[in-house]
Formats: sequence, structure tokens, C-alpha cells
Amino acid sequence: MHPHLMNAIKRIASKPFEVRFSASKIPTMKLITTMKSLTEVTLKFRLVAIGVLGAFSLGCDSLRSDFEKIVSDQKKPKVVKVGVLHSQTGTLGMSEMSLRHAEMLAIEEINASGELGEVKLDPVVRDGRSRSDIFRRRVRDLIDREKVDVVFGCWTSADRKAVIDEMENPTAIYLDKKADLSKQPLLFYPLQYEGNEASRQVFYFGSTPNQQILPAIDWFLSEQGGSKKRIFLIGSDYIYPRTASYIVKKYLATKNLEVVGESYAPIGQRDFDAYVSTIRDSKPDLVVNMINGDSNIAFFRAMKSTIGDANSLPILSTSVAEDELRRLPPEYTTGHYAAWSYFQSIPSEANSRFVGNVKREFGYDRVTDDPMEAAYLQVYIWKEAFKRAKSSDPLKIRAELEKGIEFDAPGGKVKVDPKTHHLFKRFRLGQIRADRQFDIIYESQDWIAPEPFPSFAFPGWSCDWTQGGLQKGPPVKLD
Amino acid sequence: MFYWIYDIPSATLAVIITGAFVLFSWLGTFFVRPILRTFLRKRSDINDLIGYMLSCFGVFYGLLLGLLAVAAYQNFSEVETIVSKEASTLSALVRDVAAYPEPERTNLIWNLRDYTRNVVKYAWPAQRQGIVPEEGNIRMVAFHEQLIDFEPKTKSQEILHAEALRQFNDYLEARRMRLFSVTTSIPAVMWTVVLIGALMNIALVWMFDMKILNHLYLGGFLAAFMGLMIFLIASLDNPFRGELSISPAPFEDILKHLMEE
Repeated sequence: MHPHLMNAIKRIASKPFEVRFSASKIPTMKLITTMKSLTEVTLKFRLVAIGVLGAFSLGCDSLRSDFEKIVSDQKKPKVVKVGVLHSQTGTLGMSEMSLRHAEMLAIEEINASGELGEVKLDPVVRDGRSRSDIFRRRVRDLIDREKVDVVFGCWTSADRKAVIDEMENPTAIYLDKKADLSKQPLLFYPLQYEGNEASRQVFYFGSTPNQQILPAIDWFLSEQGGSKKRIFLIGSDYIYPRTASYIVKKYLATKNLEVVGESYAPIGQRDFDAYVSTIRDSKPDLVVNMINGDSNIAFFRAMKSTIGDANSLPILSTSVAEDELRRLPPEYTTGHYAAWSYFQSIPSEANSRFVGNVKREFGYDRVTDDPMEAAYLQVYIWKEAFKRAKSSDPLKIRAELEKGIEFDAPGGKVKVDPKTHHLFKRFRLGQIRADRQFDIIYESQDWIAPEPFPSFAFPGWSCDWTQGGLQKGPPVKLD
Repeated sequence: MFYWIYDIPSATLAVIITGAFVLFSWLGTFFVRPILRTFLRKRSDINDLIGYMLSCFGVFYGLLLGLLAVAAYQNFSEVETIVSKEASTLSALVRDVAAYPEPERTNLIWNLRDYTRNVVKYAWPAQRQGIVPEEGNIRMVAFHEQLIDFEPKTKSQEILHAEALRQFNDYLEARRMRLFSVTTSIPAVMWTVVLIGALMNIALVWMFDMKILNHLYLGGFLAAFMGLMIFLIASLDNPFRGELSISPAPFEDILKHLMEE
């Protein structure tokens, strides 16, 4: 070791707390020496020192607040709340779970993609409990308390109508004290439905009858579909089947045809023997099935045991998709038909991605279907409008949507119709396979324009939100 | 109160808290020590007196910090046990419902999957913000509806159903305990006492009549250790917050299993 260093260590060791460093050689020590000299000065300096320390304490507190704010700001992106309103409990809980999952998937994908920059979508999920009165209360809660600008939701027409009514005519007892009645959020509805409805606050992403039932009937009336002439209508007893049947009858009348019979079973009906006997006695060559939910199990079983399989009498279903097929034994359903705009079996890259994401996120035994695709694409269309409007303000979003946004959905390209707030979309006819999927046997050449008020069924009625909105014709009696 | 500290990575937080204590100690050494010396340096035995005081005070303050650290650790462990118990009960429930006949089996599994996914993706991040997640309640109601809808047709189904209902009730209890512990933390008044105690400890060091360099060394070491202890207690407090928090890993494992069920 260097002798100078050895000497220095010896000096330090002999006087551990008395070491003196040369201030001129070591800059740090120069500072300490200066401070030492400062400590020897007058009372005036000491008072100044107290002042400085006090100011430092206050400064620290202010610094803490600033730091807290910076940390919070860094961690919390701008959040835009969006409402997701479906039944999670009650009879429709299982059916609506798929729609909720599709919407959540879209929201999570959008958030993960960072497409909205620092904006994150915050889904506020509420349970409608399969009851229209609860849907009313929940939508009021979403608007007044959660301050959402858009609600993705509903399944049945009764729930949708309750939500629309609540948005347009608030129920006094549900209103929050701080409710802002000038706020008019939008409802995005993903199910196929009966039409005959117009609200400027609602955008409909499911098919209307002219995009689903009527093209299917056209196919069956054609030579390719077997030139059917004797059609029997059966459905659950609620708004959609009743209105859709009315439209089908009026449509057939334009072709000088009549239905050979029609029946409506209560929702949840488990015994269809009597209904199937009526069908057999009517000798139809096509049954149009608008039964909803688990009643389809009993219906298809009764049809199989009483009449036979699809070769004996084909059934065209409008409410049986892949999700319903998982509960229906294939021996009852194989060979029958369903009319939708989307099927899981569509061979496209966008659809493969969608199906893959659903399975990865919600389970490998999950399937996708038309309502799920509509629920998924409606969130993306809202996002597109949000990006263009740079705001979640319902009026600005609506203005963007009314410009006619197009979107490459898993089922193909769709476009928002500015006039009716519905979608231009394709029609597809599927035949049920034994593996509970569909073979697509027919597909429309192009997308079909939506007609919520077909002129043959609702004469004088029309809707064009770009020019005056809803034009009412004479009252129509659905019989 | 100081919940924003949980948004900072643990290592950074440790450096910040320790650094703040050391900085405070050093600033006091430069600016407050001269004032204190004006009053105290005239006595020749002042260092002995302050040394006794500091030892005495240190015992009490050390006890307070030590007990707090143990309490925070015990609380953390208890919550961890609650979460483990909840996850085990859920896992047993999954096994039970997997043995149900179709279509009940699929519906029950889908409901449990829906619930578990919500716990992992939404409930846990909410807990990290100190928010008690309530959305899972609805999912549990949905599962319960499906469960009680099932009507056993054989003796073995009856036994299975009774066991599933028992597991479900156990699960609800464990879940409720987890939700109660989301807001469990050391009361604000205790934190105030700890911080005032730390300040007094450092102030006692300022009173020593020593060379300034010694002051900086000794005061700095003491302040750094107190800072580290306070960092430890703060990290273990609020078991669901911060980097050093209880993770949803047991639920993630169950979800992974449920996805393939």
C-alpha cells in the first residue's frame, strides 16, 4: 500500500471523531466547513433559518400534493363510462350472457388496442333481471348516477320498449335528485326484431324482417327452396312473433298466398303436443318457427316424434342460433333451417379472429352467433363514431352515425343507415348440421337496406331521420 | 390518506421514503440544530442526558414500530389465507358442478367462469383502488339460480347436489370475508402518532453536541432505518394495494382450469 495512504489511515484510526480534512482539497468538506461557520453566526441568522425551515415544510406539503396529483394523473387515463344493460339473472340470464360477453370483449379489445389514445372505456354493467320494470330502473340509474352517454343492451322487445320509454319519458319515482333531463343517451340494440319502431335515440344492429324472415321465405318459395306454398307460423306469445307474423302474412298476400295456420305458445311452454297436432292437421310444407328460448327443445322433440325429420317437414327458425343449438339434441334439429345475417361457420379471416377471441376469453366450448356478432360490432361502430366526434356526447355521436359509418364486421361489411338508424346487412340461410353448426346454403348478393316499416304491412308509415323523422300513417291493427 | 404511494413501484417507494427521512434529518441538522444548541450547549453533560432520553424514547418508539410491523404482516397473512380459502372452496365447487348432468353442467360451469373472470379482470383491479367490488354478487345470484333449479333424479345426484350447495354457502362466506378485508388498514390516527414519533426521534438527534459530520452520519443512519421500517409497514398495510399486494393468482389458476372444463 502507498505510504501516504497508510499514514492517513493511521491518523484517522487514532482520532476517529476528530478528523480534520483540508477544505481546499475536498469540495464536500468545503461545503461542510462553510455550514459550520454559518452555525456560529448571529441570532438574526438563526431566525432566518427557522423561517427557511418553515417555508421548506410548507413547500414539502405543496410538493406532496403536486406529486400525488402527478402520480394519480399518470395512473388514471381519461375514462368514458359506457352502460351495459342485460339480464344476468332470471329466465333470460343465460341467453343475455352471450351478448354481454360480446360487448365486454369489444370494449376490452378497444382498450387494449390503445386506439382511443389516453381514453379508456369503463363498462358499467347492470342486471335487468329479465324484468322490464327492472330494465327501466337500471337505465335510469345508468343515466342519472353513472352519467353514461350510451347504453348497449336489452334482449326482448318488451325490455327495449321499456328502456326507450324511460329514456324519453322518465318515471318520476326513479329519477335521481341530480338528474339532468337534457341529457339524452343513446341505446344500441343488438337483436333481430320486428320493426315497426322509430326512436332517434336508438340504433338497431339486428336484422329487420325484410333482412331476415322475408328473404328466407322468398328462398323457400323459389324453385331452389322447393316452391313451398303452404306455410304455418308458430311462435312464442309476445311482441316479436306477433308482429313478425303480421308482416309475413301481409308479404304472402302480395304474392297471392295465405298461411295455412298460426299458433302462439306462452313463453316457457314445455308441452307442444297439441300445437304440433294442429300443424300436422294443417298439412303445411314449411313451418316458420318464432319460438324463443328453451321451449324450442320441447317443440323440436314433439315435431320429431309426431311428424318426423326435416325431410318430412322443414322448419325455418328465426330465433334458433348456434347458442340455442347447444341445448337442442342434434337428432331433433339436423337438416332444419335458420335465417340470420351471421353464422359462426362464415369462412373469413375477420370471423376466425372473432370466434378465436371469444373462445380464448370465455371458454373453448363457447360458440358465436348472430346476436353476439351484432352486440360486438355495435360497440366498434360506437367507437368509430367516438373517434370521429372526439367526444362521447350523444348528440355528436348521433351526428357521426347519421353520416353512415361502415364497418368490417366478422360477418362482412355493414353500414349504418342514416335514415332509419338500422344497419345495411346481408341475409344468410343456414341448414343445421349434426355438430350443432350451420351449412350456409344461401347468401344475399349484397347487403339489404333495412325497412322497419315495410310499405305492404304499414302503409303510409316511414322513417327518415335526415328529413323529418317518423311519418305516421293510419293506425295498424296487428291481427 | 396517502393511498397514492401504492401507485409507485416498491423499490422506488423505499428509496423515496428513506430518502425523505434522511433529507429531513440532514436539513434539520443544518438549520434547526444551531438553534437547539443555543439553548442546550451550555450544559457539559447534555450529550449524556439526550442519550438517555433517546434510549428511553427509542424503546417505546421501537416497540410501536415493531408491533405495527407485526400487526401489518399478520393482517396481510390473514387476508392471504382468506383468499386462499376462497379459491380452494371455489375450486371444490367447480369439481362438484362438473359432475352435474347436461345441460345444467354447462350452464353452471359458464356461470362460474363468468364469475371467476370478473374476479380476475375487474374485481381485483377495483380492490387495488380500495373499492369493494359488488358486481360479483349478481354473478353469484345467477349461479345460485341455476344451482337451485336443478332437480336431482338419482340418489347420487341428491348427494352431489347437497354437497354443491354446502360448498356454495362456504364460498359465499369466504368471499364476504375477502370483501370485508378490502378496506382493512392501520387507522389514520396511528399513522399520525408514528410520524410524530419519527419526527421527535430525529429532533432528539439534532440536540446532540457533536461535530456536524458525525451528526450527518448518525442522524442519517437513524432516519434511514426509520424510513425503511415505515416503508415496510406501509407496504404491508392495505393488503390489496400496491406492488407488494395479494395477487389474484389462485383465481387465475381456477379460471384457466374452467376455460378448458
